[in-house]
Amino acid sequence: MRAQDQAAAPADSSPTVTGNPPPDARPLTEAQEGLWYFQALDPANPILNTGQYLELTGAVDLAALREALAQTIAESQALHLRFGAGADGPVQWLSPDPVTVSETDLRDHPDAKARALAMMRQDTDRAIDLAREPVAAFALFLLPDRVFLYERIHHLAIDGYGMVLITNRIGEHYGHLTGQAPAPLPFPSLTRADDEDALYRASDRRQTDAAWWRAQMAGLPGVTSPGTLGGERAISAHEFRRESLWLPPALTASLAAFSQAHKLGWPDVLTALTGAYLARWAAGDDGDGEAVIGMPFMARMGRKIARLPCMAMNVLPHRIRPDEALPLPDWLAAEAQAMRESRKHGLYRSEQLRRDLGLIGGARRLYGPLINVQPFDRPPVFPGLDVQLHILGAGAVEDLTFTFRGDPDAGILFETDANPGLYSSDDTRAHALRLIAFLTAALQAQRLLDVPSASPAEIAADDARAKATRQDLPDVTLVDLILAQMQASPDAPALRDQTQRLTYAEFDAQTAALAQSLIARDAGPESIIAVAMERSAALSIALVAIMRAGAAYLPLDPDHPPERLAAILAMAQPLLTLTSPEIASSLPPDATLLLPDAWPKSTPATPLPRPAINGDSLAYVIYTSGSTGAPKGVMIEQRAIVNRLLWMRDHYGIGPADRILQKTPATFDVSVWEFFLPYISGAELVMAPPGAHRDPTAIAGLIAEHQITTLHFVPSMLSAFLAAPASDGLQIARTFCSGEELTADQRGRFHARIKGELHNLYGPTEAAVDVSYWPATSEDRSNPLPIGWPVWNTRLSVLDHHLRPVPPGMPGNLYLGGVQLARGYLGRPDLTAERFIPDPRASEIGQPDSRLYATGDVAKLRPDGAVVYLGRSDHQVKLRGLRIELGEIEAAIMASGLARECVVLAREDRAGEKRLVAYLVPEAGYAPGLLAPRLAARLPAYMVPGSEVTLAALPVTANGKLDRKALPAPEFHASGRDAATGAERLLARLYAEILHLDAPAPVEADFFALGGDSLSAVRLCLRITEETGRDPGLGTIFENPILDMLAAKLDAAGPTDDGLGPLIRLAQGAPDLAPLVLIHPAGGLGWGYRGLARAVSRDSNRSVFAIQHPGLNPEQPLPESLGSLATRYADLINRAQPLGIIHLAGWSVGGIIAQELAAELSQMGREVGLLALLDSYPTDVWRDEPEPDPVAALRALLAIAGYDPEAHHDLDTRAKVVAFLRAGDSAMGALPDLVLDGVVRLVTDTNRLVRSHQHRHYDGALTHIRAGRDHQDRDLTAALWQPYAGAVEALEVPFVHAEMIAPAAVALIAPELTKRMA
Amino acid sequence: MTVTLEKMRADIARLIDLEPEEVGNDDHLPDLGLDSLRLMQLVTAWEQAGLKADFAVFAESATLGEWWDAIQAQAPR
Repeated sequence: MRAQDQAAAPADSSPTVTGNPPPDARPLTEAQEGLWYFQALDPANPILNTGQYLELTGAVDLAALREALAQTIAESQALHLRFGAGADGPVQWLSPDPVTVSETDLRDHPDAKARALAMMRQDTDRAIDLAREPVAAFALFLLPDRVFLYERIHHLAIDGYGMVLITNRIGEHYGHLTGQAPAPLPFPSLTRADDEDALYRASDRRQTDAAWWRAQMAGLPGVTSPGTLGGERAISAHEFRRESLWLPPALTASLAAFSQAHKLGWPDVLTALTGAYLARWAAGDDGDGEAVIGMPFMARMGRKIARLPCMAMNVLPHRIRPDEALPLPDWLAAEAQAMRESRKHGLYRSEQLRRDLGLIGGARRLYGPLINVQPFDRPPVFPGLDVQLHILGAGAVEDLTFTFRGDPDAGILFETDANPGLYSSDDTRAHALRLIAFLTAALQAQRLLDVPSASPAEIAADDARAKATRQDLPDVTLVDLILAQMQASPDAPALRDQTQRLTYAEFDAQTAALAQSLIARDAGPESIIAVAMERSAALSIALVAIMRAGAAYLPLDPDHPPERLAAILAMAQPLLTLTSPEIASSLPPDATLLLPDAWPKSTPATPLPRPAINGDSLAYVIYTSGSTGAPKGVMIEQRAIVNRLLWMRDHYGIGPADRILQKTPATFDVSVWEFFLPYISGAELVMAPPGAHRDPTAIAGLIAEHQITTLHFVPSMLSAFLAAPASDGLQIARTFCSGEELTADQRGRFHARIKGELHNLYGPTEAAVDVSYWPATSEDRSNPLPIGWPVWNTRLSVLDHHLRPVPPGMPGNLYLGGVQLARGYLGRPDLTAERFIPDPRASEIGQPDSRLYATGDVAKLRPDGAVVYLGRSDHQVKLRGLRIELGEIEAAIMASGLARECVVLAREDRAGEKRLVAYLVPEAGYAPGLLAPRLAARLPAYMVPGSEVTLAALPVTANGKLDRKALPAPEFHASGRDAATGAERLLARLYAEILHLDAPAPVEADFFALGGDSLSAVRLCLRITEETGRDPGLGTIFENPILDMLAAKLDAAGPTDDGLGPLIRLAQGAPDLAPLVLIHPAGGLGWGYRGLARAVSRDSNRSVFAIQHPGLNPEQPLPESLGSLATRYADLINRAQPLGIIHLAGWSVGGIIAQELAAELSQMGREVGLLALLDSYPTDVWRDEPEPDPVAALRALLAIAGYDPEAHHDLDTRAKVVAFLRAGDSAMGALPDLVLDGVVRLVTDTNRLVRSHQHRHYDGALTHIRAGRDHQDRDLTAALWQPYAGAVEALEVPFVHAEMIAPAAVALIAPELTKRMA
Repeated sequence: MTVTLEKMRADIARLIDLEPEEVGNDDHLPDLGLDSLRLMQLVTAWEQAGLKADFAVFAESATLGEWWDAIQAQAPR
């Protein structure tokens, strides 16, 4: 850097207009390098423009202010810096060009302040060219009653403290120029920054610091934050959200008092407590979490740059894992000590540490949110003026940044800045308000343990929601409700199965008779009667009869193994068991049985008395599997199930017009509402035949036959049902789902097929079937789909592992409270005590006896209070520290169209090697190898299953739930696949070259895991550019460090050159094998052949090229004729491949051109091998057709881009089509404007060429592949080519024209082409 | 001027929880735990006690010895 010590103005005459570094340019300091790479990754990102403005009121001496500004700029060398890429890395130099100072007089402007702010915003939002433009700009805005002094400086030149120095300096000069203060001492030279940097780089201290940090960071957990719980990447956007609040004076006062009382620095207290708040977001289901915060560090104390405006600040990672049980002052003292230690090592750059630890690329990072305490950030002094400071931006916001400006005496301005990609504005505000509440509560608490993460306002909202569910229940039992209905509608249909249909009166008589005989066998309140029967009307009669006898029923599944049935009977000790002769043999010999033959045949003479039961009486006992192996009997009382059923009747308006299908096994508690809801609503219960619940077609038949209005599906069964042809177009008033997670994908497929409502219910057996509901309407866009809102008299609480309420968005354990809770587990008070706990907030909510049930489910609240299920606390899927929603992968698989049903598991078949496995029931188009690329296009790489297993059907348990244990272990392919495509081979070589590997890297190689860093990434970027003539962009490498992913990116953009040239290489093969040349279809682009090219190259190891239309460049003239186009293409081929055989193929218009090209080449004496036409027909066929309108041509463009034109009839203008493509994610939509224009032009023009073309005869053989599913109304066949070829071979594939180069068709076509080129 | 070397040493030691004898003239003060906020508190207190010195002296040097030398050098003026 050329600069004189304390120069008033930089004296540098080297030319900078070109932006090339002058010969004496200096390397960046370590502090600057990280920022330079950040900016190089995204040069258009303006977020490193740090900006602020001063609001000056009073008698401003404008002349002095202008001069003060000029003097400050002149003496601040940092403001004159330029930056650029040098041969050995980034460099900087001083430019003699002036720094912009503008002045805008807004004194007559009606809205001067808004105008000034808009102009500042406009300036700050523009990314500057670091090599050619000044890094800084200053502006004066003259308002009627004040002056705004705006400053904007790129972060590479200045840090926060440097900004303070410069701003203060303007004030000092102003004071001097107005005769109110002495002249300030000049700033030191910027060379001091280089000197200090060099000093530290060469010091032993740097080595010690490096070792210290490495030790500190050992065992670093995956860094997370409130906005990245799902593994999102924290990459700064171009802007940020901000919530500015003043800390309440009571809070700053208690902060000051607390800090003083415990001899702690208040900034340390503030930082540690904010870190404790963030650690809460990193907590697991069962343990405290660890947050890694970033602490901006001035790095100036005791250094010669203490007073120098420059970029020196560092960000120190600090691990916070609070011991919440410690007395708060003790924990804070330890934290303050730890922070003090880290500041001692604070000159070691965090970017370097990140490299040391290999935390580069992907979602890996060193720290999460920043906590920035700026005690010195006070307004500068301008003698005689009142000054206020407004910060506009202070650099990148990758995640969340909490900034505290000022001090407890002067007041603390608290800014919450958030990455808009990770936080909504509501989220941002919620964090700001909640943190204030957390700090307030913590400073009054003895220990952090006593401080909930949720704010008092959020807890109150929670209470209010629970309170709102209160509903006065009549003091009745299920028996009362059923009897009332029997009396109300004796002649209405009550129950039917395959063989009989009963009215309510008949049902009354039969159930009364059986009840009487049960009473005669000592049945009564609190006695248990087991039922082991196949589904039939008799089963329903048995259940109601047991209740009418005052007893509770215990369902047994006849399909369960005899040992399990015996175990349950032994535990429950039922009075007797109702069963059939067929099933009786599976029951233990000592069981007391009551067979149907022994049921009374006639109605009793005396009326059956109402049983002596009440709300507290036992209604049923259902056994669920226990984690310890032995089943647990859940005891549900009358009041609980009455609440559940009356809620459902009322909420969904169930009435006499309804017919409810009973298909759920009685051992699954969903069956309880199926069995009893009809009889309290006057509806009819339709019993599905045994086994029908597993047969989607049978269910569809039952629905249609009996006009079922209400039924239930476990979501996996719903999927199977929706995949069955028979379900299409059915009308079902209400479909309820529960038992598993209902996905957004299932919701979408439901509404596409079924007319009716879909409802998502949730609840464990321990809380009377369901405790929450969510209407999954066709308008609902929630994803994940919530389990929703509490039913009547119910509380849903999401608590952390210390049983403290958590705020919206924070995962916690779901606890249930209210009248539906079970009495407990039969005969297992120990288990009951473990899962049913006293409500820790019982006294606060005024219900001293209230209990909570621990569901073991992990959930979170949405901001609107709806509950979202996240998974089991014991089955959470985490891969490489990333939380994964398997449902998202499943939805992506379903969206691929390759699977009818699917499920994804994280399996650990080899110890320590957890991998995702996709199980699927394949669709017609499925073939191995097709799925992964489609998933990779939609999901982050870590979410693409490593293995696929196809099954004829997904295994289900007796209850119809997916049977995960029955899914087979997959065979994993050995890792380390060799590079296959051209791009992969190129990268395998370059990875090895740059990372000094012994052999070409396998396609799984991670650039950064193998030792790559920012600098080597830049080198890789340069080498790729050299080899391919195309700059992949540094960002592409950072986001796709895995070799095959990066190769895919390179391929996606066109594998070689710029992808828009006339001849592009789609796949690299052996140089001695004759290549295949594919001719573009109507739009002129050859990219669509990428899949075909890769498949052919993989099968045959040939290079594959595509010829693209020269008219893609709108500046090029359009060809006169198709013949002249073919001549050009022949020249192109001759130049690229002067010798040997050429294979040709083309789809659609591409085939017509290929035929002409074949004729042209053979006339030139070249040997044409294969000539393949993919569903192309001679032009004579079209000539007599009416001329298509321009809109039709545009619609063809949609087909080229991969959309179905028939699905988008609204796109009828060029503007609409272009806008649609732009909004979508097709390659077409990503084209530069100019090229897209070219494509649109070609689509229209090709029609002209085709119509005027006269075919020549080609003497060789022509292979025609017809789209067999198309051309229903026209006789388009290969034979039409007979007049124009020596021989015609006709093939056919079962696709429509538009699908011919899509993966499914390629899977069939590529092998045929390969065969014919051999 | 009432600020002496020993008063400075005692003030520093108090703020960073050390005994005065633990703060040597050549000890790197940031390494002893002196941060910028505490430095500001010290300098403010010393200025109120009558010390006249440019803040740069304290910010740019890292030992009590250097500070004292600079103060001595400026004192006669």
